[in-house]
Amino acid sequence: MINATTTSDPSSTVQSQKPFEQKQSGVQSNTVLGRRGLERLDLLLLVVESLDLNGGEAMLWATNQLGLQKQFPNRVELWKRRCHNPLRRATRRGELSSIDTEALLRLLCFMASRLYPLLHQLLSSREPEELNLQRWTLLDQRLRDLIEERMNPRRGAVQLLLSPEQSQPIQRELVLTLALAAGNGGVDRLRASLLDPTP
Amino acid sequence: MLNLSFRYDQTAVRLQVEGLPDFSAGHGDGALGILSGWRLQLVGSPELEGKLEHLQALMAAVLPYSRHRISGVSRAFGDETSVVVISPVGDRHQLLLRSSQPNVPPLTLHLDDAELADLVRCLDDLRLDSRVQVHWELPMDYPLPRKELAERVPLGQRLAAPLMGGAALVLVAGLGLLLPVPRNPDGTLSPATPNAPELQSRSDR
Repeated sequence: MINATTTSDPSSTVQSQKPFEQKQSGVQSNTVLGRRGLERLDLLLLVVESLDLNGGEAMLWATNQLGLQKQFPNRVELWKRRCHNPLRRATRRGELSSIDTEALLRLLCFMASRLYPLLHQLLSSREPEELNLQRWTLLDQRLRDLIEERMNPRRGAVQLLLSPEQSQPIQRELVLTLALAAGNGGVDRLRASLLDPTP
Repeated sequence: MLNLSFRYDQTAVRLQVEGLPDFSAGHGDGALGILSGWRLQLVGSPELEGKLEHLQALMAAVLPYSRHRISGVSRAFGDETSVVVISPVGDRHQLLLRSSQPNVPPLTLHLDDAELADLVRCLDDLRLDSRVQVHWELPMDYPLPRKELAERVPLGQRLAAPLMGGAALVLVAGLGLLLPVPRNPDGTLSPATPNAPELQSRSDR
């Protein structure tokens, strides 16, 4: 009897991403997000930027890795797509096309996979409590700064995100969402979640 | 005979599957078509092992649970007869595993969010691995129905809008009843539509 053991390396799933066009075949083609979905997608990207100090550059690098240069040839084009979020200070009218939505989803899940060790540390109860508290405080500060800089503070949802009492459970939900969106099955799970109807 | 073994690792979880290629189904040497066993190691928990149906039950409970959890809905998956039940308990996730052996009590594990994410990633890696040609009977990831999403909103918040609407309607109706009815100088009620007969007579002409 011959035994063949193979180990799947988690990092290889990130490195071996195929170009966007090749991955489109098995993908839901009409992913048009509603208002809530757009808000959540942009907010999750904002959390990624809070976790990765060089997040803007990392996203551009990720677009190259994923073969998304056609959708996002530069930083401005990426910013323009994200401005469909109605909570932004400079918001754009109209809905985001399904191709752009799919590209943003793939970008987000790729970034979540890349940041997975950090997400794991934040969510783990086995980490030292004091250390984890400091990590959450740092994330809270950075996210708060980004929200104040880019979001419209007159919106109720933005005020909720900036509220010291109510922001913590929301931040934990966002980090858990990113953790569950990482990996091979994350894109489908996150897409379905963003397409949820408004309750 | 070629015995295949694939391993999926995350920080707190290791899943290993073993099996053989199914040559009758036309699988190649490197494809696992018949799953003979699996082992799951969770940090700080006893090692789990079982057969295909147990792994299928684990996937059928954990993956829909994570799909709901990503939408902010916490609900249990599996019932009293299920081999695997996963349910939210406080800020943790309780995984209850029933053995198929008689007189073996069920095993209960408590996972934190990080361990749940690790387990979900391992199961995803397995089910989407092109080398594993096992047909998994799992539900697709669909948007949740409005009813399920409504349950995550607190009851008070859900009832606030209809209650306030009803109260506003009652208030306006009450104020309307307080308005005085127009009366003639002699104290009698004025007719509701004084011009109606005239209009009718004009149309008759």
